[in-house]
Amino acid sequence: MPIFYLGQAIKNQATKERGDSMQSRQKQSYNISTVFVLGILLIILVPLFLGSKTLTIPNSFPQLNTIFLSILIEAIPFVLIGVLIAGFIQIFITEDHIRKWIPKNKFLAVVMSCVVGAAFPACECGIVPIVRRLIGKGVPLYAGVGFLLTGPLINPIVILSTYMAFGNDMEMALLRMGVGFVAALAIALTVSILFKSNQLKKSTGNFESATTGNKKQPFAARLHEMLKHSIDEFFDMSKYLIAGAFVAAFLQTYVSTQSLLQLGSSQMQSTFVMMALAFILSLCSEADAFIGASFRNVFPTSSILAFLIYGPMIDLKNTIMLLSVFKAKFVFVLFILITSIVFLFVNLTILL
Amino acid sequence: MKFHFQHFLKALLLGLFTLFFANLHITGDIIKYINPKYDYMSKMTVIFFFVLLLIQVTRIWQEKHTHHVCSHRCDHDHGNSHWSLRRVVSYSIVAFPIVTGFMVPPATLDASIAANKGFLVSQGGGQSGGTERKSLMEGAESLVEKEDIDIYSSEHVPLPNENYLSEQEYDGKLRLLQESESIQMTEDMFSTYYGEINDNLESYVGKTIKMSGFVFKEEGLTGNQLVISRFLITHCVADASIIGFLTEFTGAVTIQEDAWVEIEGVLEVGNYNGYDLPLLKATSLNVVEEPSEPYIYPVLKMLGN
Repeated sequence: MPIFYLGQAIKNQATKERGDSMQSRQKQSYNISTVFVLGILLIILVPLFLGSKTLTIPNSFPQLNTIFLSILIEAIPFVLIGVLIAGFIQIFITEDHIRKWIPKNKFLAVVMSCVVGAAFPACECGIVPIVRRLIGKGVPLYAGVGFLLTGPLINPIVILSTYMAFGNDMEMALLRMGVGFVAALAIALTVSILFKSNQLKKSTGNFESATTGNKKQPFAARLHEMLKHSIDEFFDMSKYLIAGAFVAAFLQTYVSTQSLLQLGSSQMQSTFVMMALAFILSLCSEADAFIGASFRNVFPTSSILAFLIYGPMIDLKNTIMLLSVFKAKFVFVLFILITSIVFLFVNLTILL
Repeated sequence: MKFHFQHFLKALLLGLFTLFFANLHITGDIIKYINPKYDYMSKMTVIFFFVLLLIQVTRIWQEKHTHHVCSHRCDHDHGNSHWSLRRVVSYSIVAFPIVTGFMVPPATLDASIAANKGFLVSQGGGQSGGTERKSLMEGAESLVEKEDIDIYSSEHVPLPNENYLSEQEYDGKLRLLQESESIQMTEDMFSTYYGEINDNLESYVGKTIKMSGFVFKEEGLTGNQLVISRFLITHCVADASIIGFLTEFTGAVTIQEDAWVEIEGVLEVGNYNGYDLPLLKATSLNVVEEPSEPYIYPVLKMLGN
């Protein structure tokens, strides 16, 4: 099989070398994510090896596995809907459609970008390359950021899954949308004050026109392309979901409520615990509601809300992707901004 | 024409996912994982996966390198590039749940999970427990007002969630709770009755309660105390919370944890850490088989209600 693929590999190598230094940067970030994925694999394998020492699966493993699979069984339908829509957008909608709406006025542009993002169904994993292309084509940075933040956070599938995950209760879904939207506005506006240039890594912006060439294709062919896209997106995304579900199931099986409560005994601490969890788990926004909901009898509502708002805006996986697009300094400032503003706004909801 | 191994692998995984979800429905194991209320979602998933499988199969053999419609920069993996450690790890992760799903039979949540979630903590002893219970009760109250759907009937209907109760029947069942001296905690009304009894404990003191559940011995209980528990599943097993009654029984020490029992007992007001909670003085206790549908599901509000 390696020989089989050699020809292909050489060809890819050739295309890569034709690319710019951006490619090599991307390669570097792949290494970071390799480490990340290996780390998760370790988490998965260690309990299995511990079990194999005694040559039997530990009694708790079927319990863990049941919880793990139940999260997946609930989440996968939403992921599938998500990747189908993502595939649709990739093939049928061009960036021009969205960009047309962004006005010249800074504040209006931010509001507009957040609204467009809210109407645009995307996952945090799918939105990064879209935002990169938008900014490369001249959409201001702050508008791109607003779109980046609300795109994965507010969309029909996320609302539906949040509604269902919390026992058909609209309150959490509404809070998630409302507080998330206001926080996204605040973050994008701060970005508009702090940064003047587009903050893209120098090498991007070279290849802008390739996407527009496919309009002439017949509908059936484009539909076929869309589904192929969806499949690749599914495989791309599901590994993060699976790893996240496993970590969540692992925590539920082996960590007791009491110790989690101790970890986050005060309002502030538990909010931080949940935000850290959202960051590390790197869940897809279409499925994270189920995992957030599973912590309901451990943490107060506001902390769960922080989990639901923070996760779609930034997480480990997303940060790795952002680093491959934007300057490291900008990503760092954005990370600090998102963290502090979400934390502040979520804690303000207690006063409501 | 060229054979693409990675596309073949993806097709294989999609096929296995299709089989896995279909199998859950054929064997009925799906209720070990999720609230049957949502089982149409996973039925839909079988169809989705099957369609994607058909599409993916067409990619296994294809022309050398067809130009992909999305630009060079769509960030995800189209399976055209060469192998790397990262890719092997990725496919392994995707395959992992399929392997464990077929190899490890689903388990019913047991006392070890109950111990992690904590029963007494949620009875007001813990910091966040109080608010949690309150919100559970709020939910129970609003469903008393609004709901007329019976989620889980004791009649063993295959799809209990489709068993609807008229409003009169529901009210009738509630009135039964208030008026009768002996309360049968059936699966369909369990969470509603449980909420109501916790809310207005005084008005139910002295009544006889019949229920079944599994034995959970939480740290901090005395030798003759047990919690006769059920898991309340809102959506999937991962969101289970534990509900049940603290029970006093003289032979409690001899009862194994995780055993399923049927009990009859008189309701009293107990006390834990200064909080009042319902306490059953058991008059009879029989060990029984684990029921085929061990979980309790709350009555859920429908969209548009």
